[in-house]
Amino acid sequence: MDVSQWIDPDRGLIRGEIFHSQEVYAQELEQVFARSWIFLAHDAMLPQPGDFIQNYIGEDPVLVVRQPDGTVKAFLNQCRHRGMRLCRADTGNARNFMCSFHGWNYGLDGRVINIPHGEEIYNAEDREQFRATEVRLANYKGFIFGTWDTTAPEFEEYLGDFAWYFDAYIDRYEGGLEIVGLHKWVLPANWKFNAEQPTSDMYHGEVSHASAFQVMMPTPVDANSPPPDWAMSQLGQLASPAGFQFVSPYGHGTGWFAGGMPVMNETIYRWQEATKDQVAARLGPQRVTAHGHANIFPNFMMLSNYTFRVTHPRGPNEMEIWAWSMAPVAAPAEVKEAIRLDLLRTFSPAGMFEQDDAVNWEEEQRILRGYMARKVPLIYKQMLGRARYDADGLPGRTVPHVYAEEGARGMYRHYIDIMSGAPWPDLARLKQRREDDERSATAAPAKPDSFAA
Amino acid sequence: MSEQAKVVHLFQRQEHLAPVNVPLQTAYDIEQFLYAEAELLDAWQFHDWLALMAPDVHYWAPVRVNRLAREMDREMYPPGTAAHFDENLQMLGERVNRLHTNMAWSETPPSRTRHLISNVRAHTTEPDNEFDVQSSFHVYRTSSERHQDSVIGRRFDRLRRADSVYGFQIVSRTVVFDMATLLVKNLSLFY
Repeated sequence: MDVSQWIDPDRGLIRGEIFHSQEVYAQELEQVFARSWIFLAHDAMLPQPGDFIQNYIGEDPVLVVRQPDGTVKAFLNQCRHRGMRLCRADTGNARNFMCSFHGWNYGLDGRVINIPHGEEIYNAEDREQFRATEVRLANYKGFIFGTWDTTAPEFEEYLGDFAWYFDAYIDRYEGGLEIVGLHKWVLPANWKFNAEQPTSDMYHGEVSHASAFQVMMPTPVDANSPPPDWAMSQLGQLASPAGFQFVSPYGHGTGWFAGGMPVMNETIYRWQEATKDQVAARLGPQRVTAHGHANIFPNFMMLSNYTFRVTHPRGPNEMEIWAWSMAPVAAPAEVKEAIRLDLLRTFSPAGMFEQDDAVNWEEEQRILRGYMARKVPLIYKQMLGRARYDADGLPGRTVPHVYAEEGARGMYRHYIDIMSGAPWPDLARLKQRREDDERSATAAPAKPDSFAA
Repeated sequence: MSEQAKVVHLFQRQEHLAPVNVPLQTAYDIEQFLYAEAELLDAWQFHDWLALMAPDVHYWAPVRVNRLAREMDREMYPPGTAAHFDENLQMLGERVNRLHTNMAWSETPPSRTRHLISNVRAHTTEPDNEFDVQSSFHVYRTSSERHQDSVIGRRFDRLRRADSVYGFQIVSRTVVFDMATLLVKNLSLFY
């Protein structure tokens, strides 16, 4: 199926068919999820040998297991014999995994270590081949990603310029991150709605989250006084949304306010202010603020307040969100607690931000059952034609506004590429050629009226 | 990860399995209080509902996770970790205020809910004006044109007798949803 018939990234037009079609969905499982790097675990989720978590690559369950030697392996959570799920717990500690159907027993590395009556009924040379289907892994600063595709580019190449931005989330402080919580829930909407939002949509905040901003910001001492200065400064950032958006040739994106993302908790605000210089010394001045919301294509997203999540596809009309809250190891206990509470009150299923996003996506999804609703192109034109390379000290392709849809256009440009089924080496060459062309085209300063035109 | 820690939760204590030991009238009063509370929630009288809370109320709903049978005692995330709600009175107040901003889109148009409360069992405590009360709930919700969902679970309340029209206030509430992955789009209301 040629999805480019519904997506025109150059003009910023997309037809809703890509969020609705069962056929497109089946192709996504094959071409997007089975060929991309998917977040599977963080080192902190698996502290001890034998610790495992179950995660998914698309609809395929994967067991991620800490090995006795301290390394991590991952394999399809499926018995080779009749395809039964090997381990049915979300997390835990195990010495081995026994299939509950016929008792095939797998070691922590996914190798078959015992088959009932195996010596009598199987050839010895066959038994050697019976191992759970292994996932190719990469560990980037504690974040473990996996892919089935042995021809996919190395993870760091796949991240590309986004690595600089990723570090602004995960490497702000010495010692990395620790896990403070997890939420899992389902939404009746296509996974791409959730992916494109952190990639490129800060624009929805003012309206979608108006109620949460109102009640979570500190209230004035009395009716005649304004809220405290620090809270006013945070709201002020929303009122004049200067900022940037980055887009990667591999579909990743991020956007942020020039003054930093608004914080609604005084403890967190004070600590972030107090450690600004420390972050600047570690990452440079730009990355004090260059961490808004972001998505690593296809489905690993992070928000500035330390929520990290995967959005598992569950058919064209449903997604399952797994959201981990993390906190910097270096943060004082009261800041970690403030981060934990802030997260569950904002971006969990009961969170006052998240729940309003959910109904927007639900309604979008529902309306796509219509014929005209899928036929009329949706408008992704913000900051069209304004992308530059390596401008303002920012690596890669950016636009100079936080309200932009360059991230979404980039995400769908890559989506067309990978959905075409072209082999990875061809895709890598295509992206390089495209970037070379764009760099030479944007070398001259953009005309002041280029946006209006 | 602190979820590895073994913690005996309120709802895992053996005393909840003990026979009910409150007088009939007290049991009746407590049941009627819970039904009246449910009515306030279903009628969107959230400020009146908030007035039922003790000033130092703790409203908590831990997350749970699928575990192997031998690790069943680690199914619940312990206090201080993953929770759906972990609120004091001020935090609950913010949630209530949000629902009345007319811009809480998750409840626009407002859901219709029915809180069905059952299996109410009360036990005496020290001090003698407080009671440990368990109940089960089924919250059925419809919204928009044809959305419907159900949230089912248990609650473990500490109630204190109060000189008010409702007779009690809620000192603490632990809500345990009967789901690991929440099979609803959000928890925009109260349980």
